[in-house]
Amino acid sequence: MTSEEHPATHWDGVPAESRLHVSDTVVARVAAYHACRVPGVLRLRPNLAQSMTGIASRLLAPRDGEHRISTDGVTAVVEGGRAEISVSVITRWGRNCRDLADEIQRQVAEQVQSYTGLPATVSVTITDVDYRS
Amino acid sequence: MAVNGTHVQPEHAQLACGRDAAVAWDAAVAGRRDAHQRACPHCQAVAEDQRLLASAVAELHEEALEPPASLVEQVMGAVFAEIRPAGYLPLPTRHGRARIDRVAAAGVLRHAVDRMPAVRVRSCQIHLVDPPGPDDATQGTPPVRVRISVTARFGLDLISATARVRQMILAAAADLLGLSVTAIDIDVVDVHDDPSWAPAGADAPS
Repeated sequence: MTSEEHPATHWDGVPAESRLHVSDTVVARVAAYHACRVPGVLRLRPNLAQSMTGIASRLLAPRDGEHRISTDGVTAVVEGGRAEISVSVITRWGRNCRDLADEIQRQVAEQVQSYTGLPATVSVTITDVDYRS
Repeated sequence: MAVNGTHVQPEHAQLACGRDAAVAWDAAVAGRRDAHQRACPHCQAVAEDQRLLASAVAELHEEALEPPASLVEQVMGAVFAEIRPAGYLPLPTRHGRARIDRVAAAGVLRHAVDRMPAVRVRSCQIHLVDPPGPDDATQGTPPVRVRISVTARFGLDLISATARVRQMILAAAADLLGLSVTAIDIDVVDVHDDPSWAPAGADAPS
């Protein structure tokens, strides 16, 4: 968790301090949303904890109709005013893996900074290549 | 708990009407509310809270939770995917650290060579020639060595076939992985028959 300080103006003209806190989960959701939209990304690959949570979620569907953006395949840590993001993806055969990783890093970092204001470093792991699609 | 400096005993939470919330709750549970509890808005609110909780619990209790038949497979699949020994090859990019699973990378080359008509891949492995240091992420492409074993169609010129395999690996590694191959070991471990194959220019079978 981190904060960004934004000097704001109070109603009576006295500058008021405000802080924007952006959680790891927010960054992970934004990153996951954009990572899986990079052309060539077939899907994101969840880790064991995310897989187990996903299985449980499918069994116990939320009752309130809440639709959460999945963070499967993404972990994020916000510290010192920066976001460190790890993305695990499965790609399609035929894409250049290095170029794909580069594009994911560029787009995710750009979108996370645009949405949260946090500069981001993105690590990409290509865990598998699908030949069928 | 302190509210505006007044200490409230948690076991005796008093409502604004002076009644104990726990007593009002128990009366609602038992369905024995007195005249005050039926008329008082504070006690009515407690009774409504109790009704909400009771209906939510009853709803959950009545719901039959049927795990899907594939539950064990899903769990075991996730566990096996996690515990598979993983080795990675670095993919130098301009924007940070990137890597690819070593088995997945070898699969890309294997799939490319398997598309050649006269060759079938038995195994393929990729090894880093010099493991990079921690600061090498953004430097040049790390050199790798590819070891591949194949079977060739019987009658194929093995010298030219291995030259074509070599070229296919170099091109696929560069175009599909972004890796630089500096050494290739090709083992032709067997030959196979391919009845469907006819040499170029040969007469079509009658």
